[in-house]
Amino acid sequence: MENLVEIKKLSKNYFNKKALDNLDLTIEEGKVLGILGPNGSGKTTLIKILTGLLRQSKGEVLIDGHKVGVYTKSIVSYLPDRNFLYNWMTIEDAFKFYSDFYSDFDLKRGEELLDFMKLGKDMKITSLSKGMTEKLNLTLVLSRKAKLYILDEPIAGVDPVARDQILDAIIKNYDSNSSMIITTHLVRDMENLFDDVAFLKDGEVILKGNAEELREEKGKSIDEIYKEIFSE
Amino acid sequence: MGKYMKYEIKGTYKVILGILAIVLIATTVLYNYTAKNESSLIIALASLLIFGTFLSAFLYIVGSFRKELYEDRGYLTFTLPLTGNQILGAKLIVAFMWFLILGAITVSYNIFMMAKTSGETINFKELLSLINSSEIISFAIMILISGISTLILIYFSMALSRVTLRNRKIGGMWFIIFLILSAFIAWIQMKIVTISPYYINLKDWSIVNSNISALFQIEIDNASLMFSTEDYFYINIAGFITNIITGIILFLGTGHIIEKKIDL
Repeated sequence: MENLVEIKKLSKNYFNKKALDNLDLTIEEGKVLGILGPNGSGKTTLIKILTGLLRQSKGEVLIDGHKVGVYTKSIVSYLPDRNFLYNWMTIEDAFKFYSDFYSDFDLKRGEELLDFMKLGKDMKITSLSKGMTEKLNLTLVLSRKAKLYILDEPIAGVDPVARDQILDAIIKNYDSNSSMIITTHLVRDMENLFDDVAFLKDGEVILKGNAEELREEKGKSIDEIYKEIFSE
Repeated sequence: MGKYMKYEIKGTYKVILGILAIVLIATTVLYNYTAKNESSLIIALASLLIFGTFLSAFLYIVGSFRKELYEDRGYLTFTLPLTGNQILGAKLIVAFMWFLILGAITVSYNIFMMAKTSGETINFKELLSLINSSEIISFAIMILISGISTLILIYFSMALSRVTLRNRKIGGMWFIIFLILSAFIAWIQMKIVTISPYYINLKDWSIVNSNISALFQIEIDNASLMFSTEDYFYINIAGFITNIITGIILFLGTGHIIEKKIDL
């Protein structure tokens, strides 16, 4: 299987602080990669470089054979860890916006997901609660038939019911030809989604591999491995 | 780019229409409640209102660009499959459009109110010939070009301060960059005007050399970009071209920064 994402010797420095240090990582087509690590381990920095919001200090990133730019932005569907839609929008406006800018946006899938999330198109972005915002953002991101989905902390800060709904939506709407990167520190809730995992600590990958093989090799769940690594 | 313009308009029209509504109400009040014999006071206050309209629209537009760079909405804007030039171009065209609309409406409303309160009928033919005169058109174009180049310079300063200084606490730094760049550009322009003192008269398209023209020696000091007398309107050719080139360089520079350099 071919690699959709290739990251080679990637470093990012903020003045004297190293956020990413010589990181190597690849993501195969059709695979779900979990990037696991506590806050401040460099997960969001890595994702922001992949989405073109941040520049690397050193190293190379290729997505579908291209450097990060207009093309890669058109094939990456990105869920940031914040409320990124414009404040003046209603959900309807956000749908139109996505279908105008992304040719892979599937309106039918979007409407089904919106129903599933129990959201109405006439709702204003500014009137949504944190959980509703998260559900709407995920609806928009999953309604694209993108080659690569990047979800940054998709279930952080939402209640357990919304959490289950979001996980359900990811599982049901995930296209098996696409790849997905999910960052999280809530490993127990998400570990069943991952084909591969990479553990990130202080900007370095300290352990990576196939999730099933790691479970067998260590005789532990990914969540238990996570706790073992990061409690040290 | 057209699509992005559509969403720029959707995102800004409410505030712009709000500004317009306020200024139209204020203009109506001004003409109806100021004593009719105080015409110079009315003109002064009406000009102040028009100036205020442009200033508030300008500040609002500048502020919304700043929000792209410093607030969460940038996560949407800068991950769209658009180049930096497309985003910037769309923003500038929409800003330009708003200034044109605000200018046209406030000026025509003032003419209308002036005619209404003085009881005279508007002579549209006379008005049209006034608007059609080359000086007025050239003057309006010059004002718009300098307005847009100021806007580009502000965008450039903001983008530059965003990539060089990430600390939000000194976010006002862009203004210092803006002042330094403005002074530098004005200095270059002055040098160029001194080296190439050829002016074009926008009334009859004749070209004069300010160093050998008696008119210039009296009317202006040698390094002005433009000047006007009652009968003439002169623009320095080299200075004007420099102005346009500077604008293009700053535009491409800002586009490059927001596409390739910005760190959110």
